[in-house]
Amino acid sequence: MTLPDYHFTSAPLWLVTTLHLLTLSLHLAAMSCLFGGTLIVLWAGVRKQWAGPDAAGFVRVLPAATAATVSLGVAPLLFLQLVYPRQVYAAAIVSGWFWLAVIGAVITAYYAFYRTSFQAHRTGQVSPGLLALAALGLLYTSLVYSSVFALAEQPDLLRALYAKDQSGWVWNPALGAYGLRWLHMVLGALTVGGFFVSMVGQKAPAMAATGRAAFVGGMAAAAGAGFLYLLTLDADLALFMRTPAMPVLVVALALSLAALHFRARKSFALSGLCLFFSVFGMVYMRHVLRLVRLRGSLDLAAWRVAPQWSPFLLFLVCFILMLVVLVWMARLFFRPEPEVESQRKHQP
Amino acid sequence: MHYPFWDQPIGYGVLMAVIAVFHVFVSHFAIGGGLYLVVNEQLARRAGDTDRLAFLEQLSKFFAMVTLVAGALTGVGIWFVIGLLAPAATEALIHNYVWGWATEWTFFVVEIAAAMLYFYGWKRLTAKAHLTLGWIYFVAAWLSLVVINGILTFMLTPGRWLVTGDFWQGFFNPTYWPSLVLRTGVCIMLAGLYALLVASRLEAGDFKARTVRQAAGWAVVGLAVTALAQAWYWKAIPAAVTAKALESMPTPIRAIMLSLWLAAALGAGVVALVILAPRRFGTVAALGFMTLGMAWFGAFEWSRESLRKPYILVGYMYGNGAEVAQTATYKRDGFLPQITYRTGDDGADLFRHACRSCHTLDGYKAVKPALAGADRAYILALIKGAHLLRGNMPPFLGTAAEAEQIADHLYQRTDHRPLAAIYPIDGLALGRRAYDLRCGKCHAIGTASDKSKSLVGQSAEDLSGLLDMASSLGEGMPAYTGDPAERKALVAYLQSLGLGGKP
Ligand code: HEC
Ligand code: HEC
Ligand code: HEM
Repeated sequence: MTLPDYHFTSAPLWLVTTLHLLTLSLHLAAMSCLFGGTLIVLWAGVRKQWAGPDAAGFVRVLPAATAATVSLGVAPLLFLQLVYPRQVYAAAIVSGWFWLAVIGAVITAYYAFYRTSFQAHRTGQVSPGLLALAALGLLYTSLVYSSVFALAEQPDLLRALYAKDQSGWVWNPALGAYGLRWLHMVLGALTVGGFFVSMVGQKAPAMAATGRAAFVGGMAAAAGAGFLYLLTLDADLALFMRTPAMPVLVVALALSLAALHFRARKSFALSGLCLFFSVFGMVYMRHVLRLVRLRGSLDLAAWRVAPQWSPFLLFLVCFILMLVVLVWMARLFFRPEPEVESQRKHQP
Repeated sequence: MHYPFWDQPIGYGVLMAVIAVFHVFVSHFAIGGGLYLVVNEQLARRAGDTDRLAFLEQLSKFFAMVTLVAGALTGVGIWFVIGLLAPAATEALIHNYVWGWATEWTFFVVEIAAAMLYFYGWKRLTAKAHLTLGWIYFVAAWLSLVVINGILTFMLTPGRWLVTGDFWQGFFNPTYWPSLVLRTGVCIMLAGLYALLVASRLEAGDFKARTVRQAAGWAVVGLAVTALAQAWYWKAIPAAVTAKALESMPTPIRAIMLSLWLAAALGAGVVALVILAPRRFGTVAALGFMTLGMAWFGAFEWSRESLRKPYILVGYMYGNGAEVAQTATYKRDGFLPQITYRTGDDGADLFRHACRSCHTLDGYKAVKPALAGADRAYILALIKGAHLLRGNMPPFLGTAAEAEQIADHLYQRTDHRPLAAIYPIDGLALGRRAYDLRCGKCHAIGTASDKSKSLVGQSAEDLSGLLDMASSLGEGMPAYTGDPAERKALVAYLQSLGLGGKP
């Protein structure tokens, strides 16, 4: 009896990649609202820029933002495991304990957000200690992700590290290869978070101003870190320049500027859309860079494609149904109080 | 073998169990909780029962917290853990079932969103809108079970998939339906038990009595559904697997017996207490029931996991990640060429990939103490005859030279003084130790492979002669290589077995 072979992809690769990058962009957008937003409230709290009801109102959005980040993270994780398991699991195993601790860190952050939000609801005040705890959990998570995903793209380093230590207590030492990547991501999160804060706080001048500052400042700093990161790519940079990623970079930057422009004219929907597609561009570039870095050890073109169309169709139908139900539920929920946009979200 | 091996001191089984058990409880709980909330909200709204509505609102906070945070994140936690502990099996599963999981994800997202809106919507929404959200929450949660159940049951009973590789044949496999009914019953039972726990803390009175009675009804109905489905489930497993389990797998059978006792105790307890004292029903009793319910479900999951041995995907991949389809390649070229991540110590690498996913050296299922007193030749024989040992281990599929490398690796790490020097014992006690080391690993007393009956009436000389020709008694049975003192004690012990003496 010949057993079924599992070395195949159950849909054409372009389809898997599209879904992967799309869901990852959604995840990173939600993560940025959450992470950036948290850093901004904390910072504003330290500087006493906005406190009391405004901050309390904003904090009450954070549990929902966490739920969105986590739920939207599961889908790209699935596709990542489908296409790059040999790289990603290998890196995760070598850093096993750090990787596993992410779950604890996110649970801690999540409960801290809930407690802060309940407290804010009861007392109208934000508890900086709890919020800082949550921010620490997110900070840890982001660091582990950056270090593990960067390690997954360095097969030789991975092999050498494992040969020396199999205990799962290895932290990717090549900080030069991912430090700036991580910083760029945090600054990007501040940018998107700034946008988010200024949108939620449209009616609260101090809050809107803080958000705007983070939005503009974050974008400039993120661009700087991004360019520096590109310069650290050395040999890979030349190859990278020859991929379609370069025109995409130009478009993404233009979209970022357009987001600034529309934000200044208070058209949040357009600004948000530009910002999202700019994030999508970044996600695409990081995908191309991954392929460049793995060129010696991963040949996706060699994969056997054996589509499973009927389960895919089931997924597609459920996916569309999901979107319909989400929109429908949101309308149901927000209907009874058709007052101000900004207060809808943090109404418990 | 294409992955590095996470060499951590906690056994793989323990780590997996901790996270999986927690997630499995929480997720079933979240589904049952959703149903409990909406059904009761509907009843309460119809009756205009404000006491009950207030009670439900309080309950929903807990359920929301559990579903949204612990449920969702331990689910992600399972992904993390299986990727770390069984990367090859996870890879194989994802390649076959990615669209199943993607579909489950859509339900998951709806479930999370609906749970959140339901929880935040008690005051804000109309009764009808709120109930609708509640139903969406429950249905989405249950549908995610409908999907994941296909993949879970596939691991034990892949059915025709092994021949055709067809998605749907693997998904709707022989245990799919009984398992779905069983798990649905568990959801209802756990919801009832939790409601009992909350109700136990209410002030004594009519409202409490009503709530307790109703919650008990849920628990008992859930339990009954579950018990029937468990019998169906057992019947649906291919006879070859169940027959083998009954013959030589004490662990799953013990787990099943335990689960039956726990279920009976729980059912009887809930019915008795609720009839006798619904008004004064206390928290201790409620906690006791909850513990029984979880223990019952834990025992069931344990039986399912251990029935799967020596496989992780039955008929397809062994517990250590060795692929059945690659058997010929392993036997010809060995494991080493397949091991992508090498450390320079081949014996250690082989031990990791062949044995370490189920064993540790000195912790959980430790091999070091189990081999104390063994000589190298005997260790080698055990490795080559791994499939003959109790515990349903996978066969060792590597080359003879690789078996030698593992034997060296283990021999260097074990205590090879004579048994009498390691343990300060002599006489029958020493004989019993010798039996455990030299015979009991394959012929555990009281199991189907127990040979003590065939030794009845044999003299010491006969038995010593039997030990001399040990390697000719059966394919894979090792030669006897113990020292004279150990041999004498073993013979005396074997004689005591033959005479019917209690070991
Ligand atoms: C799929 C899991 C699995 C794998 C892989 C595995 N074993 Fe086992 N092994 C078991 C189980 C289960 C038992 C029974 C343990 C018990 O009864 O406590 C066992 C028992 C043993 C025992 C007897 C332990 C005792 O307490 O007497 C030895 C020795 C042993 N295994 C060695 C090995 C070696 C060497 C390898 C690698 C070649 C190996 N095992 C691979 C699961 C496994
Ligand atoms: C590695 C596994 C293993 C170990 C250890 C082992 N045996 Fe066996 N034994 C077997 C196998 C396999 C058979 C043949 C199949 C059968 O009869 O179950 C067998 C058969 C036997 C038989 C039955 C022979 C017959 O013809 O009925 C006896 C008696 C026996 N073993 C005694 C012992 C004693 C005593 C020891 C300890 C010194 C021992 N075995 C250790 C695997 C083992
Ligand atoms: C526990 C739920 C989460 C899951 C399942 C998840 C999943 C993922 C996945 C799959 C990727 C990478 C995909 C790819 O490379 O193709 C990713 C990237 C990332 N996620 Fe999440 N995520 C979760 C929570 C979070 C949280 C709470 C943060 C908070 C800061 C976060 C921050 C990041 C960052 C920074 C990256 C990019 C890392 C890099 O490549 O440099 N994630 N996430």
